[in-house]
Amino acid sequence: MAAMSEFGGQPTSRIRRAVNNVDLQSFRFWFQLTAFVLFVYGGYLAIDLGNNLPMFSCGYNREGRAGVCYLLPLQHQLARPWEQLFSAAGIAVLTGFGLFFLWFIVLNKGWCGFMCPLGTLQDWLTSLRKRTGIRYSLYGEKPFNALSWVKFVLLALMILIPLGIGGGWFSHDMGVPFCQICPGRVVLPLFTGDTTQLTVDFSSIGGMVLTGLGMFITGMFLIGSFIKKRFFCFFCPMSALHYLVAKPALLKLKKDGETCTKCGNCFNVCDMEIRAIADDIVKKDAMTDDCTLCLKCVAACPEPGTLKVEFARFNIFESTEEGFLKRMNKGAGCDAHCDTRKH
Amino acid sequence: MTPTVTPASTDVSPDTPAFNRSRQAREAEVMLDHLVDDFSENPVAMQYFYDLFRKVYIQGEQVQRTTGPQVGMTCIQAPEELIYAVGATPIRLCNGSYHYDQIGADFMPAKSCSLVKATLGRLHDQEKGVPRIGKLDMIVNPSTCDQKKKAGVMMEDMGYPVHDLEFPNVKESEASRVYWQRSVRDFAVRLQQLTGKKITRKKLNAAMARTRRAQIAFRALHNLRRKAPSLVLGKDIFLVTNAYFFDDLERWTVATEALVEELKQRDADGFNAAQKKAPRILFTGSPPIFPNLKLPLLIEEAGGVVVADETCSANRMLYDMPVVDEWMVNHMIDSLADHYLKPCTCPIFTRNDDRRRRLIDLARDFNADGVVYQAFSGCQVYEMEQRSVAKTLNDVGIPMLYIETDYSPDDMGQLTTRIEAFLESIKARKRQARAKGVSA
Repeated sequence: MAAMSEFGGQPTSRIRRAVNNVDLQSFRFWFQLTAFVLFVYGGYLAIDLGNNLPMFSCGYNREGRAGVCYLLPLQHQLARPWEQLFSAAGIAVLTGFGLFFLWFIVLNKGWCGFMCPLGTLQDWLTSLRKRTGIRYSLYGEKPFNALSWVKFVLLALMILIPLGIGGGWFSHDMGVPFCQICPGRVVLPLFTGDTTQLTVDFSSIGGMVLTGLGMFITGMFLIGSFIKKRFFCFFCPMSALHYLVAKPALLKLKKDGETCTKCGNCFNVCDMEIRAIADDIVKKDAMTDDCTLCLKCVAACPEPGTLKVEFARFNIFESTEEGFLKRMNKGAGCDAHCDTRKH
Repeated sequence: MTPTVTPASTDVSPDTPAFNRSRQAREAEVMLDHLVDDFSENPVAMQYFYDLFRKVYIQGEQVQRTTGPQVGMTCIQAPEELIYAVGATPIRLCNGSYHYDQIGADFMPAKSCSLVKATLGRLHDQEKGVPRIGKLDMIVNPSTCDQKKKAGVMMEDMGYPVHDLEFPNVKESEASRVYWQRSVRDFAVRLQQLTGKKITRKKLNAAMARTRRAQIAFRALHNLRRKAPSLVLGKDIFLVTNAYFFDDLERWTVATEALVEELKQRDADGFNAAQKKAPRILFTGSPPIFPNLKLPLLIEEAGGVVVADETCSANRMLYDMPVVDEWMVNHMIDSLADHYLKPCTCPIFTRNDDRRRRLIDLARDFNADGVVYQAFSGCQVYEMEQRSVAKTLNDVGIPMLYIETDYSPDDMGQLTTRIEAFLESIKARKRQARAKGVSA
């Protein structure tokens, strides 16, 4: 047997050990902040990453955006007249999807947990709540199970309504229907001082209904994500789209059910209340439809190698006893005086 | 044994014999002498624990612990962090003495568990019961197995204030989780009433840091047992974890950390604590509690080495660690509740998939050659799980020896024969496997 680290398990190199000991909370904070600044203000530096980004880099943030959320062009493209859509223009739809897919497979749902400005915003609201000492709320198991279809329905509507417009059944007032109700459209432009989206469009009935709903959902978004961690992600159609095409993604969350003690730590810290992460000991691919790949579960797992993050099958971060303890002591605010073990 | 350090010997009157000549003390002494003297090269750091058991169990000294209310626990599923957080000190009352088992027999039906009977027997002795910690201000009795549940009322009849901590007997469902979290919160309220101190974020955080340090020490010890050749014998580890039942938390942790350091040195020196080719045994089932370390002792006297265990007097008590996402009192208490329910592999639950998976994982991880399954006669839940556990282990090719026993020393001769035969069969299997490997 090769030399084992002090905490048992596999032999470890220094770099690997440092990575596994990472303070994920602060790593994520800085990563998300950087991504937020890039996607919300990158446009001022003439950064343009195209129109097919797999997260809510909102296109309505016209000046600051460094790229556009794929849902906006997708809905536009699908609303073309059918004779166009099912001929040459169809190629544009396919290349658009292809580019979206290429972006997506790199990070998988890591786009949600690390990149999405709207996700980051929710995490900031959570931090704000924590500072006020208010406890978080949970959906609970029953509402969770009862509501998990919502995002798929939103995704379906988001595709069907534009198709209906193209087919002449719906008016163009209902164009880009999801964007009209998306809180990202209202909130993100505010960060560049653009308040034009903070209105209800009274020019048409369809527009009025959708943008009115948008304002209501924005209010829900702000209140909801203050009291419930990642409130909105549970309903996100982008998240649903991700899940449908996630199979070939490169970044993977893996679980070794055989070494899992089912202690439930991963479920306990999960912002999305995903029970399966703790209870499912059969599936190797641990990412579910609601997962945001925030990797908090990996950081909260004390069992060596039970939860793992792989990139193109290469192990980049895994649960270790040492890392778990480091993070727990840090969280308890006692890395200096609580842990007296000598290294 | 010097009389000067024996407070019990100062109150010797002509009609009460000295404590160290009582049946309880004799029984403890015989066991401790075996554990210490039958083996050469015991770790130096074990001396603390040998001395502790000698003082507490044989000389009947009062355990030196922090003052403040003393809260007895009849099971490891009561969150001890909450007890520390209100400024009280927990003591695990589960008892391993045959002497107390016989006294406790008056309370329970003939075919019941030695552990429950011994616990009642010890409590019947009131403050003279060993380990002595003075007056018990409260007993918390998690509603786990039937025998412990019914014992709660008997304890109340003996004059102890008992809090029944409602524990679900299904652990998979969300309903049971929520029910248990509520029950733990009620316990927290009861504890606050006991001491008049509120559980604050700061106090609970400090309490959790104390138990975490102890768990870290235990995990380090646990991890070192993976080594082959073995650095330490299982009988010593059971003494260490048994001491956790009643010892002062910090003193225990420091002593365990010292043992860890010594074992690391042993590792560096290439030390072997067991015989060469000693069969590596995983211990499971009813918990060995001093002085009933009969089975681990017999295994190691017969040339095996207990490398890991799945029992509530050792691994299950100290291995799993809680996580906290948001350091606020409510969430911390819920996290503790989860920690005391979710990973628990107690046989009182409806299903035992987790226990079976855990055994396979431990057996693989610790390179165990076989499993010894102890069931106390009358402990129905362990007896009933025997079949399924044996099948699971058999399916993956790990031999298991099932032993139904109790606290009586009468069956030691017969057990020795069975254990020796089991260890022999393991050695034969390994020889055959090697021979096959060579010829292939």
